[in-house]
Amino acid sequence: MKTEHPFTRRDFLKLGGFLAASVSIPGRWAELFAAGLEKMTSHTPVIWIQAQSCTGDSVSLLNSTDPEPAELLTRYITLVVHQTLGAAQGQTFMKALEQAASVDGYLLAVEGSVPLGMPKACLIGGRTAEDILVQLIPKAKAVVAIGTCSAFGGIPAAEGNPTGSGSVQDLMNKHQLNWKGKLVNCPSCPTHPKPIVGTLAYLAAKGYPEVDEVLLTPKIFYGTSTHDQCPRYHDYERKIFSKHFGDPHGCLFKLGCLGPLTRTECPHRQWNSGVNWCIRASAPCIGCSSPFFAKKKSFPFYRIGEQQHPVKYTENDRKGV
Amino acid sequence: MTQTVVLSPLTRIEGHLAIHLETEEDSSSGRTIVKKARCEGEMFRGLETILQGRDPLDAQQITQRICGVCPIAHGIASVMAQEMAFGILPTRNGRIAQNLILAAEYLHSHILHFYHLAALDFVDITAILKYNGTDPTLVNLRNWVKNALDKNLAFPGAPFLPRTETDQYLKADEANWRLIESYAKALKIRTLAHEMAAVFGAKLPHSTSLVPTGVTGEVTIERVLSCKSRLEQIKTFIHMVYLPDLFTAASAFPQYWDIGKSQGNFLSYGVFRMEEKTGEAVRNFLPSGAVIGGTYQPLDTSKIREFVEHSRYSSASGLHPWQGAAQPAPLKGYSWIKAPRYDGQVMEVGPAARVMVLCLGPGNPEMKKDVQDALAAAGVSLEKINSVLGRHLARGLEAKWIADQCDRWLDELEIGKPAAADFDLPEQGSGVGLTEAPRGALGHWLTIQNYRIERYQCIVPTTWNCSPRDDRGQPGAVEKALEGTVIQNPAEPIEAGRIVRSFDPCIACAVH
Repeated sequence: MKTEHPFTRRDFLKLGGFLAASVSIPGRWAELFAAGLEKMTSHTPVIWIQAQSCTGDSVSLLNSTDPEPAELLTRYITLVVHQTLGAAQGQTFMKALEQAASVDGYLLAVEGSVPLGMPKACLIGGRTAEDILVQLIPKAKAVVAIGTCSAFGGIPAAEGNPTGSGSVQDLMNKHQLNWKGKLVNCPSCPTHPKPIVGTLAYLAAKGYPEVDEVLLTPKIFYGTSTHDQCPRYHDYERKIFSKHFGDPHGCLFKLGCLGPLTRTECPHRQWNSGVNWCIRASAPCIGCSSPFFAKKKSFPFYRIGEQQHPVKYTENDRKGV
Repeated sequence: MTQTVVLSPLTRIEGHLAIHLETEEDSSSGRTIVKKARCEGEMFRGLETILQGRDPLDAQQITQRICGVCPIAHGIASVMAQEMAFGILPTRNGRIAQNLILAAEYLHSHILHFYHLAALDFVDITAILKYNGTDPTLVNLRNWVKNALDKNLAFPGAPFLPRTETDQYLKADEANWRLIESYAKALKIRTLAHEMAAVFGAKLPHSTSLVPTGVTGEVTIERVLSCKSRLEQIKTFIHMVYLPDLFTAASAFPQYWDIGKSQGNFLSYGVFRMEEKTGEAVRNFLPSGAVIGGTYQPLDTSKIREFVEHSRYSSASGLHPWQGAAQPAPLKGYSWIKAPRYDGQVMEVGPAARVMVLCLGPGNPEMKKDVQDALAAAGVSLEKINSVLGRHLARGLEAKWIADQCDRWLDELEIGKPAAADFDLPEQGSGVGLTEAPRGALGHWLTIQNYRIERYQCIVPTTWNCSPRDDRGQPGAVEKALEGTVIQNPAEPIEAGRIVRSFDPCIACAVH
């Protein structure tokens, strides 16, 4: 049977089923997701703004598989403006942004932190990113902070930063904008493509997802501890630890692994189409989805130097105890 | 009559850039010509300041976050600086694995740049509406745009529309269709390149496996095969799609061999270590050196200075990166980018610079021949590498060389042998990491005091290319390349976008 759309309902069901499977929720959700994705392709616009970003989350979005990037951009999200991917430049870009902002109900995706203490440290078309976001947030159906910088401030907001950088939530607090039931944080550095696509899909399908009360992260993607699901958990229990970088055996905790502080689905989702991920590569988790990521100078990623210079943290700090 | 033309934001690059053009109407021809250009980097994070006082091992993680398009180049520059500061050398497997991760990053980055960033300046995306063939990707694309137009939806074809409206796009429908098809294919291929990088890099963007002496992961037969199978598909794409598309674009826009000329001085630090060494004298797959006034000279990084007269910093001007500083002054100057100079000269960096250094310096004869053959096919001489098309060509040739070399590196890996070694952290030390990001010469300068980072300075490719004027008033390479350009429609200066994008700017990198 021919449908009005150039793609079929079966396509949606397939994608919906995939998303449902990927987030480990019961199969009956597939129907719901499919309905949402149809709604989404009837053009829930997504406005994507890069503030103090490295574009890593946009590049990660391009690493999306099933749906692949071309499919994603043309069918499943209507990406109205994007500084890296869109054709529009200069005045055409600014006009497209104005036009998109004039109709309520868009999803606003923000990549990068905001220089709240030095607004001129991030300009887009001559306007500060702060000013643009303050204009866009009130009319957005939901705001998605993509990446640890926009979710928690990340590296630009680390100790000693010169720009007074903050998260989207910090920006909303500064301007007394309501974030409750509106802001969703999708941290990680960068964010895995599945939480990006999945969260946007969920927002279009069901509206605001169930989130962690403090972190505002959607529970379907950030509900579990990396450490608890780690394939080397048994090494940790048996106190078998990796001794140095490149040692393929044992739990990586003594090298600095921050799995206990981290809540992501990396252990079973893995990265880059499931090719690899940090622990499988014997690389300690650096806690890139954590609000504490990189924040303090006295809390290094690795513990190689721990015996050699004074440290201000304890083993319990690293376990989040 | 003088007129100011502004292109802000200049999109389809990494980051936040604005271009200001001072134009004049030529009295005889009536054409609008660029007299003076200003390149404004508009985003600052202060990562060098953030690094001060941290554990040195934090640096390869934090500096990777300078850029999400080329994090590996930063990770490797940082690891090399640390190796020198710690007094250690890479393991053989570690060096080769790092080369493979960086090579895969180049392949992702060059393909992304040509198709997804630059091509939309040349391809007429609306030609898809006339598509009458049966390729499923193109049929779906056509139906997608048509459906949105028929139903009068708000953003038909977004984000590919709206675009700059001009009659200067590629005319032939078949060529447009082919390039649109390649655009879609290239999305998958660059994803494959990232998968290839992740085999030894753990994850991309932002690898967690890069460490001084190598990579954390094991070298297994499974991983070698996993790289090879992806590499094969990428290689086929480069040979069968990317290079032919490049020549299609070049033959449709031959005037761009003469547009976008920088000062013509080129710098390369050399990239892909071919021996277990670190520092300035290491032998590289793509060689280091400088070309000034058409003459090759060996690299000497003591000739580098960074100027800030027109940059948004109040710290001293003319410092060598060992003494570098970045005290922000948001109301001063016109750009967050500093103005690095080599022996006082403005240098272009990137694929064109690597090709010029290779051809005029100690380059591999086969690569030199590749360049000659490609230029001969286009009917132009070596000096035309300094142009919009020259930069695109250099990028394409380089992608081919690097992809072909990856097979050899994969064969050289010693399965089962370690790819990293144990090491101690010194109380003090200093080291420099010199490599090439896909966009050009990348240097990290590190000093350690009391086990902590005392100073960390980065001079990044786009810092060179998109620099503002220096203290002597010399414009940066991109600023110079824009001068003299004829602008058909000052309201939509598509020519300026094409010139700036040929340098593949990354502003998050340039400012950091």
